[in-house]
Amino acid sequence: MVNSFTVELRGQQEWAWLVAIDLFFGGLGGGLFLLFHNLKLSPAIGLLSLGLVTVGGLVLLAELGHPMRAWRAMAKPRTSWISRGMISVFLFIVLGFFYIAPSVSFFSWLPWNPAGFGERAIGTIAAICALLVTLYPGFVLSASPAIPFWNSPLLPVLFFAQSLLGASAVVILFSPFPGLLSLAAVLIVTNLILIAIHLWTLEHSGLAAKEAVRLLQRGSLGWIFNVGVVLIGMVFPLVVTLWMPSAVVLAGAFILIGGLLLRYCVLKAGVYVPFALV
Amino acid sequence: MEQRPDTGANRNGKRPRWGMAIDLKRCIGCHSCTIACKGENGTPPGIFWMRVLEQEEGKFPVARKVFLPIRCNHCVNPPCVPVCPTGASHQREKDNLVMMDQNKCIGCRACVVACPYQVRFLAEDTHGYYGETLTPYEAKSYQKWQPRTVQKCNFCVERIENGLQPACVQTCPTRALVYGDLNDPQSELCKLVRERSHFQPRAELGTDPSLYYLT
Repeated sequence: MVNSFTVELRGQQEWAWLVAIDLFFGGLGGGLFLLFHNLKLSPAIGLLSLGLVTVGGLVLLAELGHPMRAWRAMAKPRTSWISRGMISVFLFIVLGFFYIAPSVSFFSWLPWNPAGFGERAIGTIAAICALLVTLYPGFVLSASPAIPFWNSPLLPVLFFAQSLLGASAVVILFSPFPGLLSLAAVLIVTNLILIAIHLWTLEHSGLAAKEAVRLLQRGSLGWIFNVGVVLIGMVFPLVVTLWMPSAVVLAGAFILIGGLLLRYCVLKAGVYVPFALV
Repeated sequence: MEQRPDTGANRNGKRPRWGMAIDLKRCIGCHSCTIACKGENGTPPGIFWMRVLEQEEGKFPVARKVFLPIRCNHCVNPPCVPVCPTGASHQREKDNLVMMDQNKCIGCRACVVACPYQVRFLAEDTHGYYGETLTPYEAKSYQKWQPRTVQKCNFCVERIENGLQPACVQTCPTRALVYGDLNDPQSELCKLVRERSHFQPRAELGTDPSLYYLT
């Protein structure tokens, strides 16, 4: 990065597409497992959730300066949300596999019972880990006190809601069931409300917060946010789920595109509060 | 300037808390501190552990430039430390300095975005100012840090532990920079902070930076 020598409103330059892809796949996988576990969906959906989180983790490794040292990231769970997230991802993949494997014919040789108490306990712990996987990116970002767009308790909630929305889109694409469209519509409206509250709050905050909102609505991120996230990723799928169920596959794909773009927008809207000169 | 060659207890029996005061009335924006820091620490192109921000104020004919030297503030409550997942970013108990253990850093940049002062940096590669071929000076100084890990101001810790001033303090031609022990009420630094009007950067965040701007 090149340092600036002037006082200016400046967005963070450190995290961009790769981190957005990691957050997207991680959230998608975590949310998908929660739906799989709570709605008793097909084991293939469960396995897919593990795969998505694994892909997210691999993308994150590519983003790290020293991927071979990634194991060190589990060292500080008492203070660091990245540490907590890494541990959650690791436990989720291992426990999730142990939970799902007996239900898959390919792994039927494994010596444990899918309906036993132990399995149910493992499933519950895996679901808690999946919940943490969906939440931790929001906490990681909100730990930056000088970036008002991130430094909000609403962010983990938004990431969680986005994870569930993306997961419902995956289920729409691969394993739809009655009532799914209603669930997706509720999740879309929830996400729209959360985003609106976040933007409204920031619009009435300080200079950097206003600049972040301007970037999203009228600035360099305007097209991605207004068209990609809101119109394609939410409004169109909402219309489809409510009134055009024949185009539901398209809506599912659009929700996923919008989810990825939202992660990118959140990262790039990270504007620092500038120094005040006296 | 009072120089203390050791980092043990100060004359009050307390652990030192190294800090700095920057007199904004004395700073002329000459960037000597920026260059001295570069010279001392051999940071790569585009990375400045210490730099001077400038901004124009007012309108002609009473326009003027104001300057604000910025660097790591070695906060008492540094946001960059708890976010680090490996412990690479840490705070030394013996003198409150916030340091980087580059052997532990995984290059996740969580500390870079958590720092409210934008004074943490990740060197992407080992290119020098003249391309891939390093000058002898660069080849020597680049051994102090690792590429793709985070680096930051270390308060010239090797210098102060040997009784020297930090390079930026020593080079400042207007003596705008004063360093010392904030836990020693008799230090020149504490006297300045007591006697002069001052502010701490972004104090509202609760970081308690060990840097005071004198106004």
